[in-house]
Amino acid sequence: MQLVVNILVLTAIYALISCGYVLIYRVSRVLNLAHGELMMIGAYLLLVTATSFSWSPAIAIGSALVLSLAVGGMVYVFLMRKMTGEMVLAAVLATVALGVLLRGLAILIWSAQIQYPGQPLGLTNPSLKLPGDASISLYSALLIGSTVLVYGTLFAFLRFGRWGVRMRAAGQSPLLAAQRGINLHGVYALAWGLSTLTGALAGILIALDTGLSQTIVLIGLKAFPAALVGGLDSLVGALVGSLIVAAAEVLLIHYVDPLLSDVVPFLVLIGMLVLRPWGLFGTREALDRV
Amino acid sequence: MKKTVMLGAAALAVAAAPATAQDAYVIGVTGAMTGPSAGTLGPAVEGLRIYIDRLNAAGGVNGKPVKLVLQDDSSEPSKAAANVKKLVGQDNVILLVNSSLSSTYAPMLAETKRAEVPVLFVGAVCPKEVLPPTPDPLQFCTTNFGQGYDSRAALTFVKETTNEPIRIGFASMAIPISRGEMEYASEHARSLGMATVGHETIPPPTPDYTPFATKLKDANPNWVASWAPWVTEVRTVEALRRLGWQGNYIAIAHVEAELDLARVKDPKFFVMGANGFFIDNLPIHAEVREAVKKAGAQYPAEQMTEGWVGGMTIEAALKSISGPATRASMLAAMNTLKVDTKGLRGGPIEFTKDNHYRTRQHYRIYSWDTDKSQLRRVKDWITYEVK
Repeated sequence: MQLVVNILVLTAIYALISCGYVLIYRVSRVLNLAHGELMMIGAYLLLVTATSFSWSPAIAIGSALVLSLAVGGMVYVFLMRKMTGEMVLAAVLATVALGVLLRGLAILIWSAQIQYPGQPLGLTNPSLKLPGDASISLYSALLIGSTVLVYGTLFAFLRFGRWGVRMRAAGQSPLLAAQRGINLHGVYALAWGLSTLTGALAGILIALDTGLSQTIVLIGLKAFPAALVGGLDSLVGALVGSLIVAAAEVLLIHYVDPLLSDVVPFLVLIGMLVLRPWGLFGTREALDRV
Repeated sequence: MKKTVMLGAAALAVAAAPATAQDAYVIGVTGAMTGPSAGTLGPAVEGLRIYIDRLNAAGGVNGKPVKLVLQDDSSEPSKAAANVKKLVGQDNVILLVNSSLSSTYAPMLAETKRAEVPVLFVGAVCPKEVLPPTPDPLQFCTTNFGQGYDSRAALTFVKETTNEPIRIGFASMAIPISRGEMEYASEHARSLGMATVGHETIPPPTPDYTPFATKLKDANPNWVASWAPWVTEVRTVEALRRLGWQGNYIAIAHVEAELDLARVKDPKFFVMGANGFFIDNLPIHAEVREAVKKAGAQYPAEQMTEGWVGGMTIEAALKSISGPATRASMLAAMNTLKVDTKGLRGGPIEFTKDNHYRTRQHYRIYSWDTDKSQLRRVKDWITYEVK
């Protein structure tokens, strides 16, 4: 039973992060290689809000998420918008540069030491007992719950929401969408904002669970193969890809060698690229554009 | 007349001028100020910088300032190599300090050996080459932890304090030095009659430590030992606790240990190290606190000990240089050095020609006292001869 819980927690971590990659790619066809860094910034924003709103964890976390949404939107407005009409590769390289900049800023502002944002908020991380002699930490349980909530909301938003439909339209054909009067810049800015928000939520919950340092960026990188395995333009794919990668990782740690955990996501990715390069739920067209 | 006045003014200016950069003792540092290991190694660099700034403000050493040239290598071997090339070739340092990951050692040493520059490891793991009886002539180390000695001391403590059969597990990070030390500890534990029941090697960017802790817990140890970067040590014990494991855990004390023990509040989580904690409240601790506050440091005073001890060592070596400061005179000074650590360690650091580590290693063990709600000294200085 504990193995199942471990798989679910890791799936939730990867899924919550990888949906950010998918959202931006699906809407604007840009591969955001600064997603891990934006996730890190979101988590560090909790440190800022935790100091200001130490009396209310809910307000502190809520403020950090709103700020993350704004940061994502601003990244589009002040950086990625300038990439409009340029080669996709230029946009991808801009995200690489953004990542380097954000890492440097984080060190300058918050230093490299491990931070515990739960401390100023007076939050603890108790262990919850589950059937079958299994346990889960409170924030790991919240990670699973948040992932379910985020994916459910995103599915509903993209299917029924006015802006969600516009996002899908912009992703399918920006030209036609623009001709129908859809504000493409608004749609793209929203996609960047939502992507950063979901990444920040993952970063905040990981930070509350185990602490926060700049190495959290590497976790963002490990979630990238999950998005690719599922198909970079599919939210369902991100969920299934995360489950496959997480299950392979946890089972290999337990039954083979813990050292494999570092390479498992990339081994699964290589296998998928050989068998079905566009991912489980992705489309060939999307791959061609990469 | 005008010429005489000008010459006089010039002579006065020279006489009154403070020591210039050219007169300074130039020390180079390549350190992990950013990157994945900056949390542990960054404070060592900052502590050293604050110590040297303070030294210069008090007049320097032998009337000359000490110029510290800092270079960040982000724990990357290629960056460390470039840093050392610059420090040795352009800055003409007389001593090179390494405060970085062990992966930076080889490219750094290739340069320093060629130029015969002595190297001092501060906060970075001591390589075997500094150990007696035949140390590398150019390498020295003040870092509190050391391979082999730490595991032997930790396992001795485990054996002394356990009245039941010992089943011990090990946790290391997936880097050669940590893994190798835990493999050595595993062998040593068996030689002490303990049953070794598992060894988990955990990669650094792990999102969740629970899968590793699950496997370790399933092996049913009553002790777990870890010699790894602090992040691995503390996250493993926290993951084990969340799974309901009730055994004892012993880890090497890195700079983060004092503040983190107070955060975790786990009476069965023991840390063993050569640095005294600031709860001792010695005059030197007050001195460090004040300097850190004045400097507006990024890291708290409790994490500065490694850098401070490094600074004390450099000051002592420079003081004993007679004549012009060269790489050779610095090396000669380092070979016969005794540094009073003023209570930051259990005794002085002593380098000899045959021992570039220290002649005696002192350990203390700390844990959390639940009744008093404060840190406690579980065992006072235990001294080992280093031969």
